[in-house]
Amino acid sequence: MGWAGHGRGMLHVAHLSVEYPATRTDALRDVDLDLRDEKMVLVGANGSGKTTLFKALLGLVGARTGRIELFGEDVRSVRGMTQVATNLPEVFRLVSLPVEDLVAVYARLKGGSPAEPLERLRAFDLTGVLPKRIFELSMGQQKMLGNLLAVCFEPRLVLLDEPFDNVDFERRRRLVRLLNELPAELLLSTHELDLLARFPGWRLAFMFEGRLFGPFRVEDLDRLYLSRGRASDARAVLETRVGAFSVTLDRGERPIKSATSLGALMEALP
Amino acid sequence: MNVLRGYTKAMLTNRTIWSWGVGFMLFWLVVGAFIESQGQDLSGSGVVVYTAAWYVVIVLFSLSMFAVAVANSFTYGSAALAYSFRFSKLSPAGFFGSVVGGSAVMGTVLSFVMLGSTVGIFGLRFDYRFVPANVPALVGISVGAGVFYMALATVLMLVVINYLGLKSSAFVGFAPLLLSYAFGLAQVYAQLPAWLLYASPYNEIESLLYQAFVGSPTPLQISGSTSAVLAWPYLAAGLVVWTALLSGIAAGLLRRIRARQIEEGRQI
Repeated sequence: MGWAGHGRGMLHVAHLSVEYPATRTDALRDVDLDLRDEKMVLVGANGSGKTTLFKALLGLVGARTGRIELFGEDVRSVRGMTQVATNLPEVFRLVSLPVEDLVAVYARLKGGSPAEPLERLRAFDLTGVLPKRIFELSMGQQKMLGNLLAVCFEPRLVLLDEPFDNVDFERRRRLVRLLNELPAELLLSTHELDLLARFPGWRLAFMFEGRLFGPFRVEDLDRLYLSRGRASDARAVLETRVGAFSVTLDRGERPIKSATSLGALMEALP
Repeated sequence: MNVLRGYTKAMLTNRTIWSWGVGFMLFWLVVGAFIESQGQDLSGSGVVVYTAAWYVVIVLFSLSMFAVAVANSFTYGSAALAYSFRFSKLSPAGFFGSVVGGSAVMGTVLSFVMLGSTVGIFGLRFDYRFVPANVPALVGISVGAGVFYMALATVLMLVVINYLGLKSSAFVGFAPLLLSYAFGLAQVYAQLPAWLLYASPYNEIESLLYQAFVGSPTPLQISGSTSAVLAWPYLAAGLVVWTALLSGIAAGLLRRIRARQIEEGRQI
């Protein structure tokens, strides 16, 4: 992995492996990651391990090996670290209440005022969700509620898992602007390669079969190619169950930006 | 809105608690007053004893039903709790205190509803004006019982979440209710040893409620003719010890709560 040189930041992950307890198979394999004063987008197909990585970073799944530190503290011993936030839907299901009350409880727990999330919901034309309970919301509304709660109360580190899933075009556009302007470190996962161009200046990494590959920059996307096998000038080699693939700069078999997902691109390679 | 207010509101507006913890219990009170009483010799103080027996057992059932409903909801919130303890101001002790506080409020409401319903339904059946001997004590005991049940149900559900897996929740979660049926009815119809009645929190609650309703110490067997009675200070002390012990265990288990996928609990 080529993460050296970035130093130990707000988020530090070393040699993280996580396995699915039911099948004892690896969900994450030897993941290293550092995030400091920057935003990163993590691209991977559905099932590549992105959500499991986020849950591990939050201590919601246990690691088989490796270490996770948030602001220098082992995630297992973290208490009261209100500056870390996420949009994972399960973290908002503390108690069954209408969204308006749930927002008020969450605000209190984060040490903020409900006025901020209520204002953000208003700005995204989502005040209609307030009298409803979470299970009564559409998937897109649930996703947006999580997104907006995650960016409230001055977070310093935000983990957004597939924040654009089931979100309509106009709200996507507004959300992209909000995330680009947010004064916080951000780790955002998506399976949509075509979204990347909207995050200029962000770091970029790929996730495939539980492994993390990179780092790149979003601006590099136009220059990145994927080829089967191990290229001598590879910027990263993706070891998969169907063989190795090389990510190269400026030349290769297929431009990465031409695909909608990394998995589809691999299937298209001869 | 803090977690205490949130939980209290969620409890007070929960349809499951009202339909099973209250509605279903009213059904049993009607059965007790108008069907089970048929053919029984209930002259004189027998009416009061019979009514008190139904009241104490129904309060046990109602509170255990309530605690089971609330504790079951923890399976849906295990990830939220694990997350909140790390990344919010919520602490395990603060959360447990909020649940206990909500339970105390709900216990007060349930005690008034059950007391009023019992007095009304049985009064109608027997054309008798029941005056419970010590209403403040009845409410206080009901609140204490609500807290005990919540601590017990929380411990059991956290054992499921942390160690057994959600597949076991359907069975383990109902243990407080099943034990209430067993111990509650046993004291009415059988003479259990005194040490067991002093040691069992269900019988401590039942005996304390009975004494507060009738105004005299509870006999070892409520429907029997035994003259041996139970001393309320020991009963109260036992209930306090049980509640404190279970609360301590619940707080410890909350600190180690595991985030579970709710799908894990699906039976079929």
